[in-house]
Amino acid sequence: MFRHTPLRYGVLVLLAAAALFQAFTAEYFGLEILTEILILAMLVLALDMVAGFGGMVSLCHGALMGVGAYAYAMLTTKAGIAPPVAMAGSVAITGAAAWVIGAVCARSHGIYFIMATLAFGQMAYSWVFEAPVFGGDDGLGGIARLDLTMIGLDLTDSRSFALFCLFALGAAYGATVLILRSGLGRSLSGIMHNEQRMRALGLTVWRVKADVFGLSGMIAGLAGALAAQHIMFVSPGLLGWTVSGEALVVVILGGLGTLVGPLVGAAAFVVLKHELSAVTPYWHLVVGVILIAVVMSRANGIFGWVEARWGARIDRRVADATRKQQPGEVVSDA
Amino acid sequence: MLETRNLDKSFGAVHVTRNVLLKLERGERRVILGPNGAGKTTLFNLLVGELTPNSGSVHLAGEDVTALPVAKRARRGLSRSYQKNTLFDGLTVEENLGLAAAVHTGHATRLWSDSLAKPEVREIVAEVAEQVRLMPFLHAKVSEISYGVRRQLEVGVALATRPLVLLMDEPTSGVGPEMAKGFHDLLNGLPRDLTLLIIEHDMDLAFDVADTITVLNYGEVVFDGLPEEARGSKLLKDIYLGSWEDA
Repeated sequence: MFRHTPLRYGVLVLLAAAALFQAFTAEYFGLEILTEILILAMLVLALDMVAGFGGMVSLCHGALMGVGAYAYAMLTTKAGIAPPVAMAGSVAITGAAAWVIGAVCARSHGIYFIMATLAFGQMAYSWVFEAPVFGGDDGLGGIARLDLTMIGLDLTDSRSFALFCLFALGAAYGATVLILRSGLGRSLSGIMHNEQRMRALGLTVWRVKADVFGLSGMIAGLAGALAAQHIMFVSPGLLGWTVSGEALVVVILGGLGTLVGPLVGAAAFVVLKHELSAVTPYWHLVVGVILIAVVMSRANGIFGWVEARWGARIDRRVADATRKQQPGEVVSDA
Repeated sequence: MLETRNLDKSFGAVHVTRNVLLKLERGERRVILGPNGAGKTTLFNLLVGELTPNSGSVHLAGEDVTALPVAKRARRGLSRSYQKNTLFDGLTVEENLGLAAAVHTGHATRLWSDSLAKPEVREIVAEVAEQVRLMPFLHAKVSEISYGVRRQLEVGVALATRPLVLLMDEPTSGVGPEMAKGFHDLLNGLPRDLTLLIIEHDMDLAFDVADTITVLNYGEVVFDGLPEEARGSKLLKDIYLGSWEDA
């Protein structure tokens, strides 16, 4: 079950501080990288919700992000709908698509679940690639960003857009925590630990899985709507299975089932990608070696390793410090 | 409360349950005896819906539930514990009970509230923990408690759904004599209006707890009666009880 430990809170605060520092001090290129990290972080957050807390390892989350991006692009450029409504619409459309995928795949497990979600993702990719209405392989351009000038935020400016993405990621993280702490989230955790028993207790397992998959899809859709606004262009590549694969790599690299870990993974992955690609075109090889090392080390990703090494010690110290600050104990000491 | 009519199940050429007729009244405590391979666990799987019968029907509180899936039967009041512990291993005892109670109270699928923090759920958790003597272990993870305590939790999780009928598959399986004795008291302390159907190999427990006894052999009901009648039955001695009586 999801628990926020002092270490997790600490890392979250550090990540938020680093992102804010980067948002206020970086130049254009640095801001573009930050925005890329924030959007990827949102996608992997959505994936960790279902994979890390429900055992549903999805290979269609990239496609879901693509659905969100295309939905936003279509609603704004073709239907002429205002960006705020289009954004809400793209989130709802992606959530509905994800719910259907979740409902269909809920009865499969392990490799079969992975393959079924991959098939859904590839179907979406093929449709978008082939259908002229979506612009085919040329994609769709001229996508507008949200207009928040009424609150003094010009999102055409990279800094403002990065800050907006940071705010959206914070909201998505908060929503994910609330979902995992809700009855639905607790039941999802129960299903991951023992699906047969949850069913024997009277839970309609497929429905819980589909509902959480739909909610996760909404977050992926939000990431997609932001991705479309970020590059102001969408192409079928957004829905490719490699995007889903990359998201899974980031979740494993950061720490599956920790929520905080995938955020760390997203930052590490994007920074590594940019730093290594400046040195060698074979940067995927290096990332591959790192991923193999992480998996072989049996630690649960970068954050999992930190948590296993220092988590218990930090949590104990915080608990001791909290106890010492309790008024009753201060009086007795005196 | 629970009734089966001509319940029949085969796996290929192997006939595991043959025309089983059972009728349990409300509050009745029945123990099912039978040698290994008699079809006892298969019967449980048929009752809860984990297996579909070839023919026959299952009735719960007067309703034919044969076509209902496992979850729907459970929501109608049919709960079971397993012969092998089927718990939520990474979670605490309290969370294990809470998940079951949340399903019963309808909080398990709510998005806007924490099911485990709900007063109704906490009340059931506390009550069941008291009933199955798990109070000292509430905050321990399943992996941290002994096998015997896990057997208690196995029953507790089933009880936390507030069932009308509780099926227990060898609740004392693998526990020592001391612990088994504790189980007698635990089962005798359960509410009298709860209908119990228990598969058990521990004869002392069977005769201590049972109002009625059913004996299965090769999937067939060969005895159905009172514990005293079971003790005197020659048929039973031949197929099952001989070794126990001689011992």
